[in-house]
Amino acid sequence: MPDTSTVAEATQTPVYADDVSELDPSQRGNDPLLHVEHLVKEFPVSSSIFRRGKKRSVHAVNDVSFDIYPEETFGLVGESGCGKSTTGRCLMRLINPTSGTVVFNGEDVSNMKGKQLKGLRHDMQYVFQDPYASLNPRMTIGELISEPMYIHNEGGTNEERIDTVRQLLKVVGLNPEHINRYPHEFSGGQRQRIGIARAFALHPKLIICDEPVSALDVSIQAQVLNLLDELQQEFGTAYLFIAHDLSVVQHISDRVAVMYLGSICEMSDWRSLYAEPCHPYSQALLSAVPVADPDLQRSRERIILAGDPPSPIDPPSGCLFHTRCPIAQEICSKEKPELREIEPGHFCACHFAKPFPIEGSSIKL
Amino acid sequence: MAFGKKKGEAKDPLANTPLSGILDGITDLKEQPIPEGHHLLEVDDLHMFFHTKDGVVKAVNGVSYTLDRGETLGVVGESGSGKSVTAMTIMGLIDMPPGKIEGGDVLYRGKSLLKMSEREMQTVRGNDIAMIFQDPMTALNPVYRVGDQIGEPLRIHRGYSKKDAVDRAAELLSMVGIPNAEQRVREYPHEFSGGMRQRAMIAMALACDPDILIADEPTTALDVTIQAQIIELMQKMQEQNGNAIIMITHDLGVVADIADKIMVMYAGNPVEFGTADDIFYNPIHPYTWGLMRSIPEQVTDEKKPLTPIKGNPPSLVTLPKGCSFSPRCPYATDLCRNEVPKTYTLPDGHYSKCHYALDPDFVKGRAPENSRSYSGGTPRVVIDEPAGAPVAGMAKSEPGTVTAVDGALAQKAPEAASAEEGEE
Ligand SMILES: Nc1ncnc2c1ncn2[C@@H]1O[C@H](COP(=O)(O)OP(=O)(O)OP(=O)(O)O)[C@@H](O)[C@H]1O
Ligand SMILES: Nc1ncnc2c1ncn2[C@@H]1O[C@H](COP(=O)(O)OP(=O)(O)OP(=O)(O)O)[C@@H](O)[C@H]1O
Ligand code: SF4
Ligand code: SF4
Ligand SMILES: [Mg+2]
Ligand SMILES: [Mg+2]
Repeated sequence: MPDTSTVAEATQTPVYADDVSELDPSQRGNDPLLHVEHLVKEFPVSSSIFRRGKKRSVHAVNDVSFDIYPEETFGLVGESGCGKSTTGRCLMRLINPTSGTVVFNGEDVSNMKGKQLKGLRHDMQYVFQDPYASLNPRMTIGELISEPMYIHNEGGTNEERIDTVRQLLKVVGLNPEHINRYPHEFSGGQRQRIGIARAFALHPKLIICDEPVSALDVSIQAQVLNLLDELQQEFGTAYLFIAHDLSVVQHISDRVAVMYLGSICEMSDWRSLYAEPCHPYSQALLSAVPVADPDLQRSRERIILAGDPPSPIDPPSGCLFHTRCPIAQEICSKEKPELREIEPGHFCACHFAKPFPIEGSSIKL
Repeated sequence: MAFGKKKGEAKDPLANTPLSGILDGITDLKEQPIPEGHHLLEVDDLHMFFHTKDGVVKAVNGVSYTLDRGETLGVVGESGSGKSVTAMTIMGLIDMPPGKIEGGDVLYRGKSLLKMSEREMQTVRGNDIAMIFQDPMTALNPVYRVGDQIGEPLRIHRGYSKKDAVDRAAELLSMVGIPNAEQRVREYPHEFSGGMRQRAMIAMALACDPDILIADEPTTALDVTIQAQIIELMQKMQEQNGNAIIMITHDLGVVADIADKIMVMYAGNPVEFGTADDIFYNPIHPYTWGLMRSIPEQVTDEKKPLTPIKGNPPSLVTLPKGCSFSPRCPYATDLCRNEVPKTYTLPDGHYSKCHYALDPDFVKGRAPENSRSYSGGTPRVVIDEPAGAPVAGMAKSEPGTVTAVDGALAQKAPEAASAEEGEE
C-alpha cells in the first residue's frame, strides 16, 4: 500500500493545466491562440428512461482545460464517447457549453452572438469526420469551397473567388478542372480534401479536425495527413486534431491530451507522452495499439484492461478510471486526482503518477 | 434467424426443418482425416466475378493460399479489395447470380466446397467453418434474445433442445468473458455494448467448435482497449480448440499481432502472400511496401514522413491493363503496363505478383527498411549475393554482418522459380 498521506499532501498544491502558458518553457512568452478553462458540457437525459423526478445528464465534457498556441497541432485522443467531438463543438459554439471559459484570439467565446459569432467561425473552421455525410450532395465542389467566402462576403469578385477555388483545389491535390463536379463523383479521400480546401478558404487561424482520416484507408490517410502538414507549414494554421488512432495523433501533433470519460487524464508534448506515459490509462491505451512489427509485438508488454468504459451518465466517484485501473488503490474511488504537472509541461491526473509511483504503476512500452 | 421468443412452435422454422435428416445424412467433415498431401483448407486460383449491369466486377481474381489447423491467416488490403467477398465465396454465401465462379477451387479437408450442394454447405457453415461478420449489429438479429441466437447453431447442427441450447449459450458467453451470463442470455443485442456484441458473435461462432473461424474485421468498429481484449480472446480460444483462423482486416498492426501467414490483397488479387516474417521483414511487392510506408510508426525520437501511395484504387470493373497496381506503382515500366505479372513463388511458398519480385537489385533498393534491417536479424531469403554481402532490405551500412541464411534462393532470373500463368 502506498503512503496515502504523501499523496494527499501532493494533491494539496497541485499545478493545474490552465496555468500551462506560464509553465511550459517551450511556449513561454507566446500567448495562446485558444485558452480553454474548466469547460463542462452536460446533456440532459430524458427522464422517461430513468426514475421520474430525478434529473440526470450525460457528463460529456467534465472540467477540461488546455491551451493551443499559434501554428501548433494539439492532438486530442481517446476512446469512442469520451467527449472529443463535444469539446470541439463547444469551442466553435456549434453547441453551447454548460460552463467554463473559452478564449479565442483574446476574446471570450462563451457569450458571443450574431456578428461576433460569425467572426469566430471565420477564424476557426471545422473539418468533419465523415467525408460522405459532411458535404452537401446538391452543391458542386466549386460552390462548396467558395461558400464560406460568400457567407463572409470575402474573396473579391466572383471571378476572383473562382480563381481562389481553383488555387485551393490545386493545393489539396485535386484537378481544378473538376470544379463543377458533385461530391458523389469523388472518392472518400478526395472528398476529405474538398472539406479541407473549404476549411482553408478563409485562411483561418485554427482548424478543428474531427477525425479527418478515420474513415479513410491507410494509403489515402497518409495522403491527407501529409496534406494537412503541408498546409500548416504554408499558412501557419493551428490544428486541434481529434482522433482515436494514437499513431495518427502522434504523427501529426506537437502536444497531445488523452481523454477518458469527459476529462483529460494526461497531457504533454508528444515525445514524453509516447515515451513515458504516466497515467495508467495512457499506458494501457498505448500498449493496446498493435504495432506493425511482429518481433516487437511479440516481445512487448501489454496491459489488457478488463471491462468497458463506464457510462458518462453515472461516472465513477473519485478517479474516473478507478473501475478499470489495474493499480487502483483505496483512495482512488474517494478522491479525485487533479491534473498536476509532474514534469515541466507534462500533466497527469493520477494519485500515483510521478513523483509518487507505486510498484507496478509504470510499464515499459 | 427466425426463432426465439415463446411464439408457439409453429413460428419456429426449425420445427419444420428435417433436422434429423441433416444430422443423419452427413457425418461431421471436421472429424474426417485430412487426406495425404492436402491441407486443412486449400484455396487454389479462385476466381469469382459479379456480373452486373455496369459490367463484370472482378471481385476475386486469382486467390490462392493454404491453411492448417492451429494457424492464423491474416488477409489485409484496402476497402473494396475483395477481402470479404473472398471469404463469403469460400463459405458459399455469395448469391449466384450475380456472382459466378470463374475458375479455381476451394478444398476443405480435401473436399471441394464449391461442388457441394447447398444442403451440404449448410452443415459446413457454422459446424465446420464459422464466420464472424464485419458488423455485429447487423449480424445479430435485434428482435431475438442473444442466448437464442448463440444457441441456434447448436440446435441446427447438434440437435440441442431449446433449453439446452440456451444453457450452453450461457456457458459460452461466460467463456468469452461476459459477466452474469445466465442473465445476459435473456437480453437483446441493443443491451450489449459494442465489445460485448463482438464477444457474443465469437461465442456464437465457436458454439459448434469449428475447424476454421473466419473473422471479418472483428475489431474495426471497436476501441483499441476493447480490440486488445477481443484479439486476446480469439488467441486463447484458438489455443484451446486448435482451430484455424482467417483474420480479415485493413490494420497491419492487427495482423502483426496474430497472423502466422499473411495475404495482401489489391483490387481482388492477392499481390503477395507469405509468413508474417516474410511480409514484414522481407516484402517483395511494391504495394506491400507502399502500405508499410503509409502507416504512421510509433516512434519516440524523430518522426519519419509518411510516403502515401499516389492516386486511388482502380474500379474492379475496368481494371488497368497489365499489373493492376501499375497506375499507382512508382516503379512501373512498359512491361508492367502491358502484361499481367505471373505469380512468382519462392521455394518456401512466399509469392508475389510483380514482374520484378525475384530481381534482388529491384527489391534491395526499394523495399522499406524495417526493424530487422537495423538489428541484423536472420534474413529468410538472400538472393544471388556472395556470402557476406548486403541482403535484400538490409541497411547498406552493415554489409557482412549477416551470414545466416535459410531458404536461400539460388537464382536471380524470374524463370528460375516456379511461375504460374497469371490469368486475366
Ligand atoms: N446531443 C447529445 N445529446 C446527448 N448526449 C450526447 C449528445 N452528443 C454527445 N452525447 C454524448 O456525450 C458523450 C461524448 O460524445 P462525443 O461525441 O463528444 O464523443 P467522442 O469522443 O467524439 O466519440 P467518438 O470517437 O465516438 O466520436 C457520449 O456519451 C455521447 O453519447
Ligand atoms: N453483390 C455485389 N454485386 C456487385 N459487386 C459487389 C457485390 N458485393 C461486393 N461487390 C464488390 O466487390 C468488391 C469487393 O468487396 P469486398 O466487400 O470484398 O471488399 P473488402 O475488401 O471487404 O472491403 P472493406 O474493407 O470495405 O470491407 C467491391 O468493389 C464491391 O463493390
Ligand atoms: S488515481 Fe488511482 S485509479 Fe486513477 S489512474 Fe491513478 S491509480 Fe488508477
Ligand atoms: S509489376 Fe510493375 S507495376 Fe506491378 S507492382 Fe511490380 S513493378 Fe509495380
Ligand atoms: Mg467524435
Ligand atoms: Mg469487407
